[in-house]
Amino acid sequence: MTEGQPPEAPPEEVPAPEDTQYTPSIAARLAFAQRAGGVITPLLTAVFAFFVGGIVVLVTTGKNPLTTYRAIFDGTGLNWLFPWVSGAERTTAALNLQQTLLLTVPLILTGLAVAFAFRCGLFNIGGQGQYTVGAVSAVIAGAYVSTAHLPHVVLAIVVATLAGAAWAGIAGLLKATVGAHEVITTIMLNWIAFWTASWLFGIGGPLQVSGAGNESVPASETVKETAKLPVFWGDPFLQGLHIGFFVAIGALVVYWIILNRTTLGYGVRAVGFNPDAARYGGIPVARNYFLAMAISGGFAGLAGAMDVLGWEFRLDQTSIQASQIGFIGIAVALLGRNSAVGVFFSALLFGALLNGTSTTNLDPSIFRPELAQNLTLIIQGLVVLFVGADVLILYLWSLRRKVRRQARPADAA
Amino acid sequence: MADEPILELRSITKRFPGIVANDGIDFDLRRGEAHALLGENGAGKSTLMNVVFGLYQPDEGEIRVKGEPAAMKSPRDAINHGIGMVHQHFMLVPVMTIAENIALANAPTHAGVLLDMDAAEKRVAELSRTFHFALDPRARIENITVGQQQRVEILKALDRNADILILDEPTAVLTPQEARELFAILETLKREGISIIFISHKLNEVLEIADRISVLRRGKLIETVPREGATEAGLARMMVGREVLLRVEKAPPEPGETLLEIDGLNVRDDRGLPAVRDVSLTVRAGEIVGIAGVDGNGQTELIDALSGLRRSESGRIVLAGRDITNRDARYVLDAGYGHVPEDRQRRGLVLDFSLAENIALHDYAEPPDSRFGWLFPGRLIARARRLLQEFDVRGGGPRTRAAALSGGNQQKVVLAREIGRDPRVLLAAQPTRGLDVGAIEFVHRRLVEERDEGRAILLVSLELEEILSLADRILVIYEGRIVGEFGPDVSEEELGIAMTGGGRETEAA
Amino acid sequence: MTARVATASWADLRTGRAAGVIGIVLGILAGWVALPPISTRNLVLPVVIGVAGIAAGAWATTRGEKRVGIGAIVASVAGIVVAIFATRASVGNLELVMSWGALTAASLVYATPLTFAAIGGMFSERSGVVNIGLEGMMLIGAFFGAWGADTTDSWIGGLLIALVAGAALALVHAFFAIHLRADQIVSGTAVNFLALGITGYLYINIYGDRGTPPDLPQIPDVNLSRLQDVFFFGDAFGSLNLMIWLSIATVALSYIAMFKTPAGLRIRSVGEHPKAADTVGIPVYRTRYVAVVVSGMLAALGGTFLSIGFNHSFTENMTAGRGFIALAALIFGGWRPVGAFAAALLFGFSSALAQRLGLVESWQSYQLLFQTLPYVLTLIAVAGVIGRSIPPAAVGRPYVK
Repeated sequence: MTEGQPPEAPPEEVPAPEDTQYTPSIAARLAFAQRAGGVITPLLTAVFAFFVGGIVVLVTTGKNPLTTYRAIFDGTGLNWLFPWVSGAERTTAALNLQQTLLLTVPLILTGLAVAFAFRCGLFNIGGQGQYTVGAVSAVIAGAYVSTAHLPHVVLAIVVATLAGAAWAGIAGLLKATVGAHEVITTIMLNWIAFWTASWLFGIGGPLQVSGAGNESVPASETVKETAKLPVFWGDPFLQGLHIGFFVAIGALVVYWIILNRTTLGYGVRAVGFNPDAARYGGIPVARNYFLAMAISGGFAGLAGAMDVLGWEFRLDQTSIQASQIGFIGIAVALLGRNSAVGVFFSALLFGALLNGTSTTNLDPSIFRPELAQNLTLIIQGLVVLFVGADVLILYLWSLRRKVRRQARPADAA
Repeated sequence: MADEPILELRSITKRFPGIVANDGIDFDLRRGEAHALLGENGAGKSTLMNVVFGLYQPDEGEIRVKGEPAAMKSPRDAINHGIGMVHQHFMLVPVMTIAENIALANAPTHAGVLLDMDAAEKRVAELSRTFHFALDPRARIENITVGQQQRVEILKALDRNADILILDEPTAVLTPQEARELFAILETLKREGISIIFISHKLNEVLEIADRISVLRRGKLIETVPREGATEAGLARMMVGREVLLRVEKAPPEPGETLLEIDGLNVRDDRGLPAVRDVSLTVRAGEIVGIAGVDGNGQTELIDALSGLRRSESGRIVLAGRDITNRDARYVLDAGYGHVPEDRQRRGLVLDFSLAENIALHDYAEPPDSRFGWLFPGRLIARARRLLQEFDVRGGGPRTRAAALSGGNQQKVVLAREIGRDPRVLLAAQPTRGLDVGAIEFVHRRLVEERDEGRAILLVSLELEEILSLADRILVIYEGRIVGEFGPDVSEEELGIAMTGGGRETEAA
Repeated sequence: MTARVATASWADLRTGRAAGVIGIVLGILAGWVALPPISTRNLVLPVVIGVAGIAAGAWATTRGEKRVGIGAIVASVAGIVVAIFATRASVGNLELVMSWGALTAASLVYATPLTFAAIGGMFSERSGVVNIGLEGMMLIGAFFGAWGADTTDSWIGGLLIALVAGAALALVHAFFAIHLRADQIVSGTAVNFLALGITGYLYINIYGDRGTPPDLPQIPDVNLSRLQDVFFFGDAFGSLNLMIWLSIATVALSYIAMFKTPAGLRIRSVGEHPKAADTVGIPVYRTRYVAVVVSGMLAALGGTFLSIGFNHSFTENMTAGRGFIALAALIFGGWRPVGAFAAALLFGFSSALAQRLGLVESWQSYQLLFQTLPYVLTLIAVAGVIGRSIPPAAVGRPYVK
């Protein structure tokens, strides 16, 4: 009997009772991808996606993709990390990096949201809606309540996190009770949040900003000073980096701890890998589905709070409708293979891309920002596509196995 | 009958990553004969036939049909050559009717565009009459019996004008009576000139129906023998390569207190129909009670109800003095229940977890593995290391992923976990399914050891041999009822009769 | 696997079903009597009818017909709620908004893209491939329909180019999902991102700040002159776009194709039990490829209607989630063409209603809130009534030869 039956071989040894093929869950696939590919494959996937993006640039605009990417890179501020950069260039880079990190913060959180759900075998496509709900709750708590600084911030954050958790919890509850597929329910909840928030702050909406001259401004009230997150790097008046950055890092740690050091995390992972075995083992599957969705939504809601309390300070219809943070979180989670470290770097990558392609940072003479933003979307799509296919990984994995097999004979059971 | 074989396999070799499933096999089939392909699980029988049927491509070797070389690139080629295959797991679409399933292959049409279901139904009725199949073309596959489904499969092949019929473990899902009906049908087919290949691991059946028997072992053909002169022991030796202990040696049981009591249990299946009817049984400490029966007679629902995974409508289950009726799985497990589920990869193990995590599957939420929700991985690993050693699990340590182990070792992990919790009552469902002989021996020996330790063991198996070998008392389940109780010396015939509902004896031997 | 609700006897089923249907009708009636042309101002009549509907629905559920039974209860409650709101509004406003002829026409207009996409989704899912990317395929059809019409200066050219674009994008999804056995939902999500990015990119690159030209060739309306003055039918069907009629034809054709032809039988078998189909000689991969490409083409048609049939232009992300509503319509309709069409009509009706609310100034802010209606309906449908609806058995699982 050879040791270690490879998953690709036909199950000669184990005939299945019903003729259903054992399909690994998304949690299992991404875990396999992580094990097999390590750090290399996400890097390669990203590089390949950028490469294809470069071809698109070349073919459609005739511009040199390398200069385009260079221009984008300059806008990200990542060159601040290079010690040889100094002087005025360094100051600009610092400002840019602050902006990049500002965008990275919510991306880390929405990425964690999607990743946590994936770990339980669930697709949370509703990060955007949960983010919106969190943002709306933060605005309400921030603008309509008056207390001292610390309790106000804490209150707003807690309210936003709970709101996001509840919003995702609806989908989780539906999954747990009637087995409704979370992809459909979360997508529906996205749009419900989208339109409800638009209505709330729209012209004539119940939470529209009040006061003379504001009648045709579809926006919310501004949060009070006591609810704003303090800035620790850069100038508060120029949108410096707020302490939400540490909250996001903290969230990464919490994510890891929950999954690997708590019984809740064990249950979530078990259900994610094999709900049948979990059931037989006495683990309450439905309850884990609900909890996983709720925690997932909590992360996304927290993301909304970070943005509102950190730099937006109010919500308006346009920004609600244009926001894609929740969706980019999907790409972040997939590229990061559902791991805390992976999510951090993916979020950084996409945050950098978003900042580098923004209208303020990209020189239109080199490349049009709106085009660049859509290019980012294409790159995102490619990343998600390639990650979903594990192509590269399977190839590397089979290479590795060939090498291993030559080095070692098979032993008996 | 022509002398030239109708089907010939020369030196067929088929490799998969890490395994040579077929190694230079020569095989031939004569016109109008029934040729059995015998071997244990993993010997390569199904692979060989899948090659013949075009589902796999051979790496080396040649296939000849009626004297001409034939390359089977897909089932279509095989069908065009007159080869039909009836798989062990039926290839029928459950929600469609018999006629629709037949029409899949070769649909009659109006003007080539629209389906002509009337013509399809007529064809089915016609064929059914010719071969005495008794099938209703309008019936949905999900609503007919397993025996009937098998006949539909055979009908499919005949509809495509097959003159070579391959049957893969055809009696695995049949009662002895249905098997007898099948053999009669095979005789009819032989008379009509159809040649049959018959895959099996059941020695007695093979001796009954086959004209010639080819034995495979670990991918190689050992020998092809005619039926005359072949014996069970001889064939078994060829299959396994050594003297096989067909029965486990065990001391007589010394039963103690009653640890499991099921009283008047009624359980419904997924469709809401009664699956377990008024079942009562007891299992005492220090005995193995086996439940024999054809698949689908309520065993699954009984096990689910016992394990806390399915509601029972009425009745009581008492385990070690505690009433566990309609309690959840957690409660039942805590009450002293151990469960070795029948599908270890689907229900027994989380393949992506490490062995340590798998072993902790039931108890991870309790001290010492965790406290107030905080997990201590070190303790999981330590406990796992102990158990893995005790159960001689090879192929990895506590941190190895379960998927990396072979089937036999995986089953040992499941046993280690369940027995390691010191259960009062242990349920083993199909514990040796898909295992090689060495692993089967281990499992059987271990179960007897645990019996001698004073546990109450309930064994549910579809393998009569296993039950006869291990059980101290044998109960037969048929259509949800316990229809007979026997001692270990009962004959297979008697069991077979009880399994089909005949002769309701209730006296233990 | 999937649980099936036990049905006691055929007779019970028939009466239970009938009661459920009657309940749904009563529910609709309860709301309808408060609206023009009857416009009852008194709540008594609607409430009475509504309660009767609830009773019928409850009775249906006891007979085992949970789906229609709960549907009847929901419809009746909704009907009473509608009546409450209607009796509070002025009759003038009601008549302005609830102009049935215009509403029907608008419902058909909003339903058409959904119908195309939902039928497309049916082909894909029935063959076993989940297609979350309908949204992206619709969007790409919208863009390339507009661009194609602009470049070839004809709407037919636009349609054809859109079909090719939809097929191409579907091919990507098909390749990754079928050949590479990627997770189908991830692949579909990627397709949506790609479509969003590609259409946005090309739109800005080609049309920049100006937007699509105002004289973009349009898919023509079909003017039925004889019908124009007929009460209600004139408003409703008198001058509908060609695509709308095409969508109805598509429903009929796809029903025949799926259930009355050998090809349809084979597609369904691949979606229910691909191994069985394979052993019978049906090419599983090829069948799935074809089904997915067809779904892409149909979704693209739906998008093309949006851009050159209805909106007369292309704007970024103009599909705004319609692809997902189409998927919901498909599920609501039980993966059958007529059911999906009925669901699409329902969703189209809610969108049409939302749009017409804007005619009354005091109701305008509620327009936005009303936009959530299709999504809420879908949520209820997927959650309550249809939660246990049974998809093709092998859907979502990659087939491994």
